[in-house]
Amino acid sequence: MNFDFNLILSSLPQIAAGLGITLKLMAYSTAIGLVLAVLILLMRISGRWYLTWPAMGYIYFLRGTPILVQIFIIYHGLPQLDFVRESVLWPVLREPFGCCVVALSLNSSAYISEILRGGVLGVDKGVNEAARALGLSAPQRFIYIVTPIAVRLALPAYSNEFISMMKATALASTVTLLDITGVARTIVSNTFAPFEIFIAAALIYLAMAWVFQVGFGKLEDYLGKYTKRGASA
Amino acid sequence: MTMRKWVLSAAFAAIGAIATATAQAETLRVGMECTYAPFNFRAPGGEMSGYDVDVAKGVAQLIGADLQYVCQQWDGMIPALLTNKFDLIVASMSITDERLQKMDFSVPYRVSIGRFLGPKGKDLKLFDDKGKPIQSSFKNLTVGVERASTYAKWIEAKLPGANIRLYDGAQAMLLDLRNGRVDVAITNPMKAYLEFLSTDQGAKFEFVSPAIDEREYFGTGVGIGIRKGQEDLVKRVNGALKTLIENGSLEKYGHKYFPFSISPENWKGVGVN
Repeated sequence: MNFDFNLILSSLPQIAAGLGITLKLMAYSTAIGLVLAVLILLMRISGRWYLTWPAMGYIYFLRGTPILVQIFIIYHGLPQLDFVRESVLWPVLREPFGCCVVALSLNSSAYISEILRGGVLGVDKGVNEAARALGLSAPQRFIYIVTPIAVRLALPAYSNEFISMMKATALASTVTLLDITGVARTIVSNTFAPFEIFIAAALIYLAMAWVFQVGFGKLEDYLGKYTKRGASA
Repeated sequence: MTMRKWVLSAAFAAIGAIATATAQAETLRVGMECTYAPFNFRAPGGEMSGYDVDVAKGVAQLIGADLQYVCQQWDGMIPALLTNKFDLIVASMSITDERLQKMDFSVPYRVSIGRFLGPKGKDLKLFDDKGKPIQSSFKNLTVGVERASTYAKWIEAKLPGANIRLYDGAQAMLLDLRNGRVDVAITNPMKAYLEFLSTDQGAKFEFVSPAIDEREYFGTGVGIGIRKGQEDLVKRVNGALKTLIENGSLEKYGHKYFPFSISPENWKGVGVN
């Protein structure tokens, strides 16, 4: 076969047209996902069965099924129900963008809540006991003592999930969205050059991943500056 | 034997020979998939039916040949023609430049067209009386189209500002049309009719445009495939098709399966229905 190296370069600007959608998908999904994740986490660690069980079920369902299936259920499945099409949610679910944000947010919230739970469980018991000895109430202890430490502990795993989310946005191309992958697939079906075009798309994802990786690295350094070994405090 | 008797018997023999020759008329072997309803397929009773079959029968009758059907899978269709397993391909095969390099085609006996589908009774007025799309009518509409299809190329050229959604297949697109995610969708009207409009799914939808046929986008149509170097056969088949088009037979064959015309020359009068 002929490998056209120039095609990679010349298609980059075209494919980058999908960057906006990809970034918007990520921004909405990670933000909503994080808020949901905190709620699920609070339910999960509440110690009350009627809150814990639903949270566990939610996590089990969303972690145990492929995101693609979740997108298809939301995009193709829900509109089959008449009441969904007449509900207030229809303006969101009518749009493929809305469906993808819903699916990606729900999916990432399940993972993130588990990541955060890992952080909370990692907080040393003694710290909590010391705070209690100082007379801090349970909510105060959670907000001022546990949370900062838990966030620091959870950050490396969270950055992993963040980059996974970036890659998961490519699934949006299966429901007509023209994100990076969607644009690439359209170009491929016109040029019949899948190798070059998808390599170009991969390069854009790699560039984004690099930015996020460096960003999270910096954030970890910043949050961990007091705990670094050998750091003079 | 007298001279006179001899002449008489010779004459009888000659007549007999001519009679046998007519009885053993030329047999045309026709290749088709036999599984491609409603174009060529076996009816429940086992007999061959469909639009392609009707066309083959019509042509054979006009050129005075007997018909023999040869069922052949699609991917081996052209090789089978080239290796003389049959004489004609009548299998809904589109006339393309690539195929024309290997074989000859008759004039088209079915058209390649696209048509817009939309909700019933909305009076969208997408096209003017001359069959040209009205740009402003498309302004507030979301248009569904299959990715990299001939229809997508037509929309890009004719409706550059349209708000289009690209689909990987007609099924998902028609589902979204039904669910109200796209306002109109353009596709092959035959497929749309068979899989959507004639079913419960598509009960609330109809064609909202005339047939669009511009050849530079949609191609020449579907023709009868013939091995190269048989100009005489091509001429006879073309002559037969011309007659079938002119006497309305093709139109009639098409209407057995579709409520609109699918043959050349006639379909233009169909318009929005």
